[in-house]
Amino acid sequence: MKISFRTLLGTVAAGASLIALTACGGSSEPAKAEGKTVSITHAQGTTEVPVNPEKVFTFDLGVLDSMEALGIEADGVPDAQFPESLAKYKDAKFEKIGSMKEPNFEDIAAAAPDLIIITGRTAGSYKQFSEDMKIPTVDLSVDASKPMESFKEQAANLGKIFDAEDKVATALTDIDTKATETKARASNAGKGLIVLTSGGEVTAYSAGSRFGLIHDVLGVATAADVKHDGAHGEAVSFEFIKEKNPDTLYVVDRDGAMGTAGEAADAVLDNELVNSTNAAKNGKIVKLDANSWYMVGYGLNNLPKMIGEVAQAL
Amino acid sequence: MPEVLTAPPPVARRRGNPLRKASPRLVLMVLAVATLIAIALFMTVDLKGAIGYALKLRGIRVGAMLLVAIAVGLSTLMFQTVTSNRLLTPSIMGFDALYLLIQTSLVFTLGSSTLLTAAPALKFGIEVVLMVAFSALLYRWLFTGGSGSLHLMLLVGIVIGTLFRGFSSLLQRLMEPSDFLILQDLFFASFNQVEPVLLGISAVIIGVIAVIAWRLRHSFDVLALGRETAINLGVDHRRTVSLVLVMCAVLVAVSTALVGPVTFFGLLVVSIAYQLVRDFSHAWLLPITVLLGAVTLIGGQLILEQVFGFNTALSIIIEFIGGLLFIYLLLKGSLK
Amino acid sequence: MLAPALSRTAATEDSSAVAVRRTRGPGEKTALALGALGVLVLAVISIFVGVTNVSAPKLLAGDLDAWQMLWVSRLPRTLAVVLAGTAVAVAGLIMQLMVRNRFVEPSTVGTVESATLGILVVTVAFPAAPLLAKMGIASLFALGGTALFLAVLSRLPLRNTLIVPIVGIMLGGVIGSVTTFFAYRYDLLQTLSNWMIGDFSGVLRGRYELLWIVAALTIVGYIAADRFTVAGMGADFTTNLGMNYQAIMRLGLVIVSLISAVVVTTVGAVPFLGLIVPNIVSLLFGDNLRRAVPWTAIFGAGFVLICDIIGRTIRFPYEVPVGMVMSVLGAIVFLALLLKTRTRNA
Repeated sequence: MKISFRTLLGTVAAGASLIALTACGGSSEPAKAEGKTVSITHAQGTTEVPVNPEKVFTFDLGVLDSMEALGIEADGVPDAQFPESLAKYKDAKFEKIGSMKEPNFEDIAAAAPDLIIITGRTAGSYKQFSEDMKIPTVDLSVDASKPMESFKEQAANLGKIFDAEDKVATALTDIDTKATETKARASNAGKGLIVLTSGGEVTAYSAGSRFGLIHDVLGVATAADVKHDGAHGEAVSFEFIKEKNPDTLYVVDRDGAMGTAGEAADAVLDNELVNSTNAAKNGKIVKLDANSWYMVGYGLNNLPKMIGEVAQAL
Repeated sequence: MPEVLTAPPPVARRRGNPLRKASPRLVLMVLAVATLIAIALFMTVDLKGAIGYALKLRGIRVGAMLLVAIAVGLSTLMFQTVTSNRLLTPSIMGFDALYLLIQTSLVFTLGSSTLLTAAPALKFGIEVVLMVAFSALLYRWLFTGGSGSLHLMLLVGIVIGTLFRGFSSLLQRLMEPSDFLILQDLFFASFNQVEPVLLGISAVIIGVIAVIAWRLRHSFDVLALGRETAINLGVDHRRTVSLVLVMCAVLVAVSTALVGPVTFFGLLVVSIAYQLVRDFSHAWLLPITVLLGAVTLIGGQLILEQVFGFNTALSIIIEFIGGLLFIYLLLKGSLK
Repeated sequence: MLAPALSRTAATEDSSAVAVRRTRGPGEKTALALGALGVLVLAVISIFVGVTNVSAPKLLAGDLDAWQMLWVSRLPRTLAVVLAGTAVAVAGLIMQLMVRNRFVEPSTVGTVESATLGILVVTVAFPAAPLLAKMGIASLFALGGTALFLAVLSRLPLRNTLIVPIVGIMLGGVIGSVTTFFAYRYDLLQTLSNWMIGDFSGVLRGRYELLWIVAALTIVGYIAADRFTVAGMGADFTTNLGMNYQAIMRLGLVIVSLISAVVVTTVGAVPFLGLIVPNIVSLLFGDNLRRAVPWTAIFGAGFVLICDIIGRTIRFPYEVPVGMVMSVLGAIVFLALLLKTRTRNA
């Protein structure tokens, strides 16, 4: 099943890219200011994108965050809950192009942007944008199975598009430096465990999951090898946390992230069992900023912040 | 004393509802015109920019809404006829739960990005086959021909639905929030992102069944008189009912796989149709139900977009109204 | 013809249960004692199942860690399971007596869905509300939902045995869709889903004590059990016996709603329990009510204990929420009961 899906995806993507290519070749787009285009290879094929496009629409907060780092503003954004760092996009001067889940295709077609950047939640609309509307579209989803590598590719793509390759390279080097420093310190900081609290209960995540950056990239040793096939966690009890006795406990507060504390993580984890772990004794229960960790995720500004949060606790 | 709505109710019983006095022909004409107006408005209001593209987009959406109106309207009407009740719909038989379980499992095992970019026809095929197989199994296993067994079948469907929901919530708990975000978009029916390919496939399937339903319209009238009467009048009750149940299963499965789950929409449309039509012959009921569904969906979407600026999913509002109607009907005691 | 799940449940009590079937008098007490003993055995097993190593030798040796684990985690969890299991099963029985239908219980009449809606409303409106406030609001909503169901039921012209739960479940579906809609708007769906699935993994000392409320309610339900039977016969019948029909119905409504709301807010929904346990008890012991209530309590506690132990061991060291195990086993037993009804009717 998996394989057939994969192969199918490959074929579909290849087909789509072919069509996209021919479509681009035949489209009568007016020449851009510089008239230069760059060919971008992304999750769903290869697209010719104008360099420094004037009107950019995106649905992804991570991409917005990276653009912010490059000093570029998007012109169309979804009607979403923007975190503090991207609060300016609430302004009406930025065109609202649908919800996070449903692009408003007609408005987008009417606005005829020069580039649309989609990811995860809107990846399914690729065909609509690239084939039906003939608008250059790139899918810059970060591949959860190799997030860092994939993120670097996507960032490099953004660099090519916005003619800011040096800037991106510098930012990525900084991130690498930061990650390496953190890794060096992590090697003797004991074992970490990542948990997510929601509805008063705890789910543990491990290397390879979306929060796996902590183990995979920053080299924090795993207190518990939460086995995973796919990026999901496991339901655990507080006894489990005590038994695994992590030296650092990284907490993602699912309910807190939504601005409504269903039951704040502090309250859930403040109990005798968790308090008897090394992490609690040494004050190493780290509350990760849920907004950065999963609303925004991988972005040139946000990633250093995420690494910083982990580093701070070492 | 609560009134029992049985088909057909004594005409003189109602008071103060002028609509009920209208002839079915008139109702049908009015609805047909209303549907056409709704479609025309929907296709033309506020067109801007790339007109050709916008028209194509709107065409696909209208097509999806029409198909769902036909599928849900017909399946609910037929189902209520063969089960001789005015309250149950085929979609409560664990369909929604199964659909959610399929989606949840897909996101859980393949990741959300795969789900969104997967070949739509394949996904659609898998969903329809699974849902039809599920209901066929349920029918085969339980259907013995008595009227009591239909209720039993419903209840079994509902219980299995609870089981599916249990599985789904477990998977949802283990899922990462970002994957869950994508998953929850699938919990609600949406007419805005329909694959044109699927539209064609669904149109063929639904069209075929609609033709069969139309040709069975006289049998439906007999079936509505109850099992014994129908058998005495020479209808092969068991065969017809089995056929209808399979048709319902296919219709619901196709509609769910196309746009997502709708539970109370069918109930809403069929109840209004019965309120409007004085004559309970299916020759009138079938088209009127379908047109009502079309007007509700297309008109509703139009109002949502133009008045409320597209903020709320239409299906949610319709479900809610349908749900309220259901409670109202219950309190009125319109259940046999 | 009972499902394997059931024979496992009853494994401890079954031998005694069959022995005293349809007997009265002193044998009865012995059987109940044996049943209670069975639950006790399960409870002891439950105390020794978990991620950390708590064993009898360790406890005897005075291992402080082991004792801490026992007091903080194992004992509270076991008690919570017993309390919730007992109460939900008895609530189901009361519900069934009140409406004279074998297939109703709080989760098939919209009570649980209403309580959930209540929790959601509190969570959105007063995120910082203490648990007790959440419980209070959830109880009010549960009362409203159950009352609505009873109002609907009194207007059902024909009480077909199977129609009643179908109507109840659809009613629950309507209420549930409202909940889902608002949860979706406020991005609380996953939270709600986690909150709702019955799960004892978060139970620790200081986090389950509210469940003692349901213990008190269960006792009230036991004392008033025969009245619910009488009320189930109808208003006229009750009045002729010189009882206040409305008052009895109100009492039942309050007991069922409060039990559901408290259990839902502390551990989540426990599907099917209130439905299958009373049915099994009546299969084994007939319909003598005085006898049914204690047995319902014993079986309820035993069944949830077994499900929770399974949930803790099946994917050790991770947990499978008890609600999940319950859905599977409960659905199997429920279907078996349904089909049994069918063969009897055929």
